[in-house]
Amino acid sequence: MAADMRLPTIRKTVSLSAAAFDRKDLVVPGDVITSDTGFMRGHGTYVDDDKLTASVAGEVQRVDKLICVRPLKTRFNGEVGDVVVGRITEVQQKRWKVETNSRLDSVLLLSSVNLPGGELRRRSAEDELTMREYLQEGDLISAEVQSVFMDGALSLHTRSLKYGKLGQGVLVQLSPSLIKRQKTHFHNLPCGASIILGNNGFVWLYPTPGQQEEEAGGFYTSLEPVSLSDREVISRLRNCLLALAAHKVLLYDTSVLYCYESSLQHQVKDILKPEVMEEIVMLTHQKLLEQEG
Amino acid sequence: MKDTPLSNCERDFLLKAIEEKKRLDGRQTYDYRKIKISFGTDYGCCFVDLGQTRVMAQVSCELVAPKENRPNEGIMFFNIELSPMASPGFEQGRQSELSVKLNRQLERCLRNSKCIDTESLCVVSGEKVWQIRVDVHTLNNDGNLMDAASIAAITALCHFRRPDVSTQGQEVTVLYFFFFLNFCLQYSPEERDPIPLSIYHMPISVSFAFFQQGTYLLVDPCEREERVMDGLLVIAMNKHREICSIQSSGGIMLLKEQVMRCSKIAGVKVSEITELISEALLNDRKARKAGGKCGFAESMPQERITALKKDETPVEMTDVTETANGIIQKGEAAPQTVPSPVVPVPGVGQVGQGLQNSWGLEDDDEDNYEEEKNDNSGDEQVEEVTKMDVGEGDVVEISDSEEEEVVILNPEVPEKLKNTGSKSHQKGAAASKKRQKK
Repeated sequence: MAADMRLPTIRKTVSLSAAAFDRKDLVVPGDVITSDTGFMRGHGTYVDDDKLTASVAGEVQRVDKLICVRPLKTRFNGEVGDVVVGRITEVQQKRWKVETNSRLDSVLLLSSVNLPGGELRRRSAEDELTMREYLQEGDLISAEVQSVFMDGALSLHTRSLKYGKLGQGVLVQLSPSLIKRQKTHFHNLPCGASIILGNNGFVWLYPTPGQQEEEAGGFYTSLEPVSLSDREVISRLRNCLLALAAHKVLLYDTSVLYCYESSLQHQVKDILKPEVMEEIVMLTHQKLLEQEG
Repeated sequence: MKDTPLSNCERDFLLKAIEEKKRLDGRQTYDYRKIKISFGTDYGCCFVDLGQTRVMAQVSCELVAPKENRPNEGIMFFNIELSPMASPGFEQGRQSELSVKLNRQLERCLRNSKCIDTESLCVVSGEKVWQIRVDVHTLNNDGNLMDAASIAAITALCHFRRPDVSTQGQEVTVLYFFFFLNFCLQYSPEERDPIPLSIYHMPISVSFAFFQQGTYLLVDPCEREERVMDGLLVIAMNKHREICSIQSSGGIMLLKEQVMRCSKIAGVKVSEITELISEALLNDRKARKAGGKCGFAESMPQERITALKKDETPVEMTDVTETANGIIQKGEAAPQTVPSPVVPVPGVGQVGQGLQNSWGLEDDDEDNYEEEKNDNSGDEQVEEVTKMDVGEGDVVEISDSEEEEVVILNPEVPEKLKNTGSKSHQKGAAASKKRQKK
């Protein structure tokens, strides 16, 4: 049995994008932003003795007279159109409650899902009774944010064939601020797996579906055993995601792919070691800088 | 805040493990976690650690008017507080279902069993009686709060000392240490020793968790096991094998034999726990008599390196070697990775050698670069283990695992030892340097 031991060392934190952060105004809770009383206070600030103070740790944003602090690490604040990956926590009358790493559980209404077979009709009492057959507690879904309720809860919908119940794969839970907003969050990576980068920080890795059969809105989950090579690709991707998240690298399909390629020289389990993580992320960073030109 | 929901994989894993009689922390089916009891400086303050579950019980007393229908009995009041400190799922102030359940169970266990002699709490019949209040605060929830709370409550009650009281006539008396009473004179601890409560027996509750509709049972479930359990059976017993209360929740159907079996197990466990409590109380009494420092601050671990040291988990170790060998033989060979000329195990040849690290010197690198290239040309695409005699070079082989690759150092290489071949590798120099600095 091979065991790996190393002596403790002081590791210097490798700051990858030192230059970019020089100009950003980062504050911690309690920092005075300004003593000027002419500003309006926005989210993340409070007035203490006529001084505008930050209440969260993040960067200061100023729009004319409005000052707010956007936190670096926060729960997911959804906007309309975001793609999320969530887990069903409750099955209620005519809706499901979905956990999406936000302050309140999101809501998936029965009228916002596609019926099996793609019918378009009014939902009846029978549909309500068979809700559990489609989505149960503990199931994972991919959905899009349709609207935001007054209290901040999100209303989701899966009214497209690409959303729906997720089948076999691996879920990685990261911080929402690491996911880059892009046109599409569903990618088929050339390394042999597919990825869904949910805006709420939940990333879903799954084997690329073979023949593109119409899945009718996620009603059919294939339970065929996944091959070993696919599993290995997915494990490697998962470890790469953890490495990137540990070094606070923005996640999008290109960065994940570069990280995957840089990690090929190591074994999958070695990627979790701190030194190897640093190395891989540095290589990824170099490649990304080259690509940006 | 809501608790993070358990994923299906985790749930299936836990249930499957339970079916195979395995628990996450390596315990057996009927094993309790390690119980640690410590006391605070005041009488009546007690901390109980049941594994990672931690609760604190505090007993206090007050002179009040008795209840109308029971004029010569004292009053007992129990309260369990579920604070958000214990678990993010607990909300401050809100009476959740669990909180109601725990409170009811503790009351049934301690009040209905008449373990405390309430008549001895009477001072002046019909006018003044002692009200004993037990507050249990949950500090950390790792499962089985009920058992921990019951142990803490009864231990705190045994530990508690109430002030001595004497009754006087109708005269108005002088204000003393506690408060002004016109019929009773309460003595401060300096005047008269406070007296313990009169406790007949110590009821302790034991929890049994049932899985798969009652097929499998576990004693003292931890938090994960509690999440996937079907039902819970709580039996409160004392060491004389008298059952004080039984409660079954979760809606599972239990057979008579199962309940009988559980009560037998509970009997055994309760006597063990009662012994533990008596020992703890005795130790505390000795410590106080000796005048030594006692109390919560002393029982907290000091700020030393070993302060956060975890206790050894009891794991079955007898067949580890055979199992490990079996796994290695049955496992597939590791997938081929690009062979790195760098020795993967850092510190090989450097441990205890104390030789100079030549990484920082530029000129030496250039000299050795050509030599290394010659060395590696033969080895590049082939992953092989090259064994060396210990006497030959400075590199010592530690294991003959197939995953390692040891490169033979050429005798012409200068005495300065370094992990060869790193320069010609595509990895950055900084990364290899880090590997060197061990």
